[in-house]
Amino acid sequence: MAEELFRKSFSILSCNFDKAGENTTEIKALLKSLDFNPDIIRRVVVVAFEAEMNVVMYANRGRMDFVITDEEIRIDITDEGPGIPDIKQAMQEGYSTATDEMREMGFGFGMGLPNIKKHSDFLEIKSDVGKGTTVMAGIRLVPDA
Amino acid sequence: MRKWIHGFKIDADRCIGCLACMRTCPTQAVRVRDGRAGLLSELCIDCGSCLKVCPTGAIYATTRSLDEVSKFKFKVAVPSPVLFGQFPANVTPGHIVEGLKSMGFDAVWIFTAEIELANRAIREYVQSWKGKLPLITSSCPVIVRLVQVAYPGMVDQLIHLETPRELAGRELKRKYSEELGISKDEIAAIYVTSCQAKTISIIEPAEGVKSDLDGATGIADVYNGILASAQSRKETNDQKALTAKLLRSESLFEWDMSEGQHRNLHGYRYMSLTGLSNIIRVFDDIEKGKLRNIDFLECYACWGGCLNGNLTVDNLYISHAKLKRLMSELPKDDPELAAEVERRFEGKEFYAKAPILPRSVEGGMGGLKERIKRIMEAEAVLADLPGLDCGLCGAPDCTTQAKDIAAGDARKCDCVFLSEDRMNHLRRIYLKGKQDSNLNS
Repeated sequence: MAEELFRKSFSILSCNFDKAGENTTEIKALLKSLDFNPDIIRRVVVVAFEAEMNVVMYANRGRMDFVITDEEIRIDITDEGPGIPDIKQAMQEGYSTATDEMREMGFGFGMGLPNIKKHSDFLEIKSDVGKGTTVMAGIRLVPDA
Repeated sequence: MRKWIHGFKIDADRCIGCLACMRTCPTQAVRVRDGRAGLLSELCIDCGSCLKVCPTGAIYATTRSLDEVSKFKFKVAVPSPVLFGQFPANVTPGHIVEGLKSMGFDAVWIFTAEIELANRAIREYVQSWKGKLPLITSSCPVIVRLVQVAYPGMVDQLIHLETPRELAGRELKRKYSEELGISKDEIAAIYVTSCQAKTISIIEPAEGVKSDLDGATGIADVYNGILASAQSRKETNDQKALTAKLLRSESLFEWDMSEGQHRNLHGYRYMSLTGLSNIIRVFDDIEKGKLRNIDFLECYACWGGCLNGNLTVDNLYISHAKLKRLMSELPKDDPELAAEVERRFEGKEFYAKAPILPRSVEGGMGGLKERIKRIMEAEAVLADLPGLDCGLCGAPDCTTQAKDIAAGDARKCDCVFLSEDRMNHLRRIYLKGKQDSNLNS
């Protein structure tokens, strides 16, 4: 059983585009001061940002837990929102339900979930249509030599 | 830990402990202890922000004085193109070259050809690049160090080519050693620089190799000498022709101005950024994946580009106007120059001598558990601090102070809110003899 070493929770507000990504910036600073390898930091940052943006764009509100165990770094996101009716479809590159307004801001090109998958070692999505979605994505750590 | 060399020093006698440098430092590398500023060497990226705000001149650039290079047999000045935009209109490029020679240089190397070579190398580099985007210019040493320290995941995106000034150093040594029959070691190539950061790129290149330049002197250091020499010279009629002969093409000025790569990278998705705080915001967005679809970022740490470097003399906008005027007098394309570039480009290596690696800076001690323990300690300490970021503890903000405390480099009682002794200590330092009468008034 993995030992949990660190946990920090962030709340995410819907449609808060101007502040979107600030939690990710904080996570990056944390990982950097923990001296993680740049490649791991880069992957976690992409996963956290995309996951955070999904909540900002589509849900009503959500919570992000940033967890470090001796085996992995994990981003757990739980949101209250419309849910994803067809997860398989949502995982396809380019598939998006974003509004034109979001696209004009440079978001919503259907790369969110595919990007999370690409940059993580494991990804689990559970969704309850009309209630909300839970995304758990993470990166495995090679134990300290 | 390794001690990094920097392009400036802090004179403890002149430092009044005013906190200005600590507050402006973008990487939180300054601490003020006992009324004196000190530097955390590994965090400093040589941006020079502290030099600009220091009110007493206690922080000063360490460029090379001309006496130090007197041991070389043949001394060549390699002026930053910015130099030509610093003087009144009656001081022409011809005067500037003569002025440099009057100060002890045997020759002056103006690197228009090297700029064109570097432009072409960059174009080919961007064309054939298969890795992560955007690519980032590496001519500003501050940007290179910023990426090494704060964006280690992006080091591969720094354009891995020699800068025109380095190419100039290499070429002039080859040429003069052949012509004069002396060894390359007897030739000094001294860059006349617009900022102290380029000095450091010569003394301690980011790739950890030896530079082809031997040192740098600031534009401000040669300014008066050039001015004096120009005033003692008569106007000649052929200055215009001489200007064109010396400077060769308007491309000379493209590198040190913002949007300088615009013409060179026409057709690419290109963005020009100046000013460290703007660049940090854009880099943050890139790192998160928020900013995509950009091929190339041209970045200058100084706002407005090298024209605004901290060793320049004239105002950014005035020198910009002067350079634009000079450019209008120069040919766009010179066939002789084009032929030289063609000849020298063939089969040459423009790659930098070694890869640029991330600089490991903090938290490296102990295993993951210990490091996390320190972070959690810092968070707990932070909760007890006032969060005003007043800086009186000697750290730029409460968050940094909390980290310093967790690492054992500072104490909780350094905070004036938590310790009456600290306040008294600061009174003794900053109010000196004045305190008794002030306290009772």
